[in-house]
Amino acid sequence: MANVLDLRRRIRSVKNTRQITKAMKMVSAAKLRRAQERALSARPYAKMISSVLESLVRRVVLFDEQTGNLRHPLFLTRPEKRILLVVISGDKGFAGAFNANILKIAHQFIAGNTGKEIDVEAVGRKGRDQMRRRYPAAEYVEQQTEDGRTVQKRERKSSIEVTGDHPGMLEKLDANRVFDLAHSIITRYVHEEIDACYVVYNEFKSVISQRLVVEQLLPLIKIGSPQIAGVVEPTAAERERAAEAAISAGIELEPIDTTEADEEAKKFGTAEVDYIYEQPAEELFSGLIPQYVASVLFHAMAESVAAEHAARMTAMDSATNNASDMIDALTLHMNRVRQAAITKEIIEIVSGAAAL
Amino acid sequence: MADATNQLRVRLVTPERVLFETLADSVELPAKNGYFEPLYGHAPLLAELGAGDVTLHGGDCDGEIYNVSWGFVEVLPDRVTILANDALKPEEIDVARAEKQLDRGVSEWKQAGDSEDAYDEALHRIAEAEAKIASAQKKPLHTR
Repeated sequence: MANVLDLRRRIRSVKNTRQITKAMKMVSAAKLRRAQERALSARPYAKMISSVLESLVRRVVLFDEQTGNLRHPLFLTRPEKRILLVVISGDKGFAGAFNANILKIAHQFIAGNTGKEIDVEAVGRKGRDQMRRRYPAAEYVEQQTEDGRTVQKRERKSSIEVTGDHPGMLEKLDANRVFDLAHSIITRYVHEEIDACYVVYNEFKSVISQRLVVEQLLPLIKIGSPQIAGVVEPTAAERERAAEAAISAGIELEPIDTTEADEEAKKFGTAEVDYIYEQPAEELFSGLIPQYVASVLFHAMAESVAAEHAARMTAMDSATNNASDMIDALTLHMNRVRQAAITKEIIEIVSGAAAL
Repeated sequence: MADATNQLRVRLVTPERVLFETLADSVELPAKNGYFEPLYGHAPLLAELGAGDVTLHGGDCDGEIYNVSWGFVEVLPDRVTILANDALKPEEIDVARAEKQLDRGVSEWKQAGDSEDAYDEALHRIAEAEAKIASAQKKPLHTR
């Protein structure tokens, strides 16, 4: 049996661990609050872009008479043969099942699309590491064209390849970088290197309302409504756990009410008047479309960052609780051991006295 | 004439946040095909923005300059909403980086060859860098 000294040492070590997890929880709570604010302040732009597009579509004849589709390359649907999958995971671990869940969904998606060529674009370090281990990176070879210039040409070796990763993109979410990524995705789509683009990420409305989604980014079907291709809702127990953690860290459970600001943002470009178009409406439209795609992507990343911090906060809250339970159990055990030792000593003294 | 009661409400919104919302007499805007300056009561207008400076005149933020690159603007009789991809104050501009961007744009432009996309992209980059450098050298105006 362990002696009192050993037990005391173990208790001290668990206490130290508890202190660390508690600190990590509070740090995550603070980061979550900031991420939530950031996601919130990014809302007006996204809302404005989508509302001005919606109203433009209504006002101006942008439809192709023959196909009935919108006259823009990003609205063209082709049979899905080559898919680009953007996996948005976290940068760091210690966030419970956050990264594992994202990757599980991503792998399910890949498994459900056998026979198609899939390019993976990994955002977030954890996802990148795993995707890289599993799938080869895309290789490019330089080729000479007839007029002597060198161009990069893709050489596909496997049906699933990682075409790019973006380390540090989530750490300091910068709209410019996200817009560059969106731009490169759009270019690939327009050049018919890909036929569709999906994003896997953790949607985050508030601590208790979040889910894992696979959202179709391209081709665009309808402006303003996300095209969700797959959803995994958290279980009731998980939600309860997250709520408990949020309460103990002082985070609001309900999403902050932004109806007023949203209504205000929705008015952008939708006044019931005839606008003067500085440029032809088609030109405005094709300028706005990429912005819309980029803002959807930016929104996904902002939410994923908030969700990661929320997941870490919950995980660390659980860890802190577990450490407390362990300390209680160990303390009880230690007291028993101490008492047993005392009892034993008394028996020895008594029996020694009786022997006299 | 514009007086204190009929001022424009100007909002500048970037993907990350609403940068400011203020009252002004007029605002200079860098549309894609040239600068324009709507006053109170302007007819509703939608325009695409290029790279350049947004300058506020009158009101609390008189003379303030923001360098914006690419976006859209909606002008209503009493309101101007600017959606910009990126907005910086002149003092926030990293001139060295803008110059690097300019060099890169120029070299891309030289290599573009027949590719229209590459050409457009290079011009895009050059315009953005040039606008940044130009506005970094500007000082806040004081029209009053």
